[in-house]
Amino acid sequence: MSDEAINKGPHDIGGEPAGPVDTTDHGMRFWEKQANALRSVLSRSGVVKVDELRRAAEGLGDEYRKLAYFEVTTSALRTLMLEKGYFTEAELSARMAEIRRRFDVPDEMESPVKQKAKR
Amino acid sequence: MRRQTEPATRSSYAPAPGHRFNVGDRVRIRQAFPPGHRRTPYYIRGKRGVIERICGAFPNPEELAYGFDGEPAKVLYRVRFLQGHVWPGYRGPAHDVIEMEIYEHWLEPDGDKP
Repeated sequence: MSDEAINKGPHDIGGEPAGPVDTTDHGMRFWEKQANALRSVLSRSGVVKVDELRRAAEGLGDEYRKLAYFEVTTSALRTLMLEKGYFTEAELSARMAEIRRRFDVPDEMESPVKQKAKR
Repeated sequence: MRRQTEPATRSSYAPAPGHRFNVGDRVRIRQAFPPGHRRTPYYIRGKRGVIERICGAFPNPEELAYGFDGEPAKVLYRVRFLQGHVWPGYRGPAHDVIEMEIYEHWLEPDGDKP
């Protein structure tokens, strides 16, 4: 395999067959608004830069195309916060477990407000 | 349809002292494939175009992406390409163009016609 194929990021899809394009306006789920607001605040305060977020998102590799838009940006934000030492993986896991207990969420991937915010 | 050749308002772009290329210069996009965060799409690498305008000088996003300050700033150009040159088998009008903003370090002089 050439360098060309190896180093092409998952975001760089210009000229590739697109397939059908979903043009439905999905709106934003509650968690997406929360996550987007957090990203916005951290960007404006200079904690993270948009170029860093893009780099972290591109670093998702094959996952990039499987995840939804706000999942990609939130994952990138998580990567940068860990990278910059704002919290550790262990601290994040512990906090997520604590909040999950507070809301009594059964499934790891389910949001406590998912029913209300359903598309 | 009105053909607009000049921007309606003055550019608010940052000045770019010491720019290497001028409007109208023929350039070729570097055919390089380095790893990392790169701001030049694959499909335009190796293609030939003409400088349409000098956008200004900006901190290098390819450095900012890794936590550096992006200094010294890099000059950004808007480059105009013929669609028929960029896309093999392009079926639109021969004068169709695509314009893309590309940093100076991705450009090299090109004497040949695109």
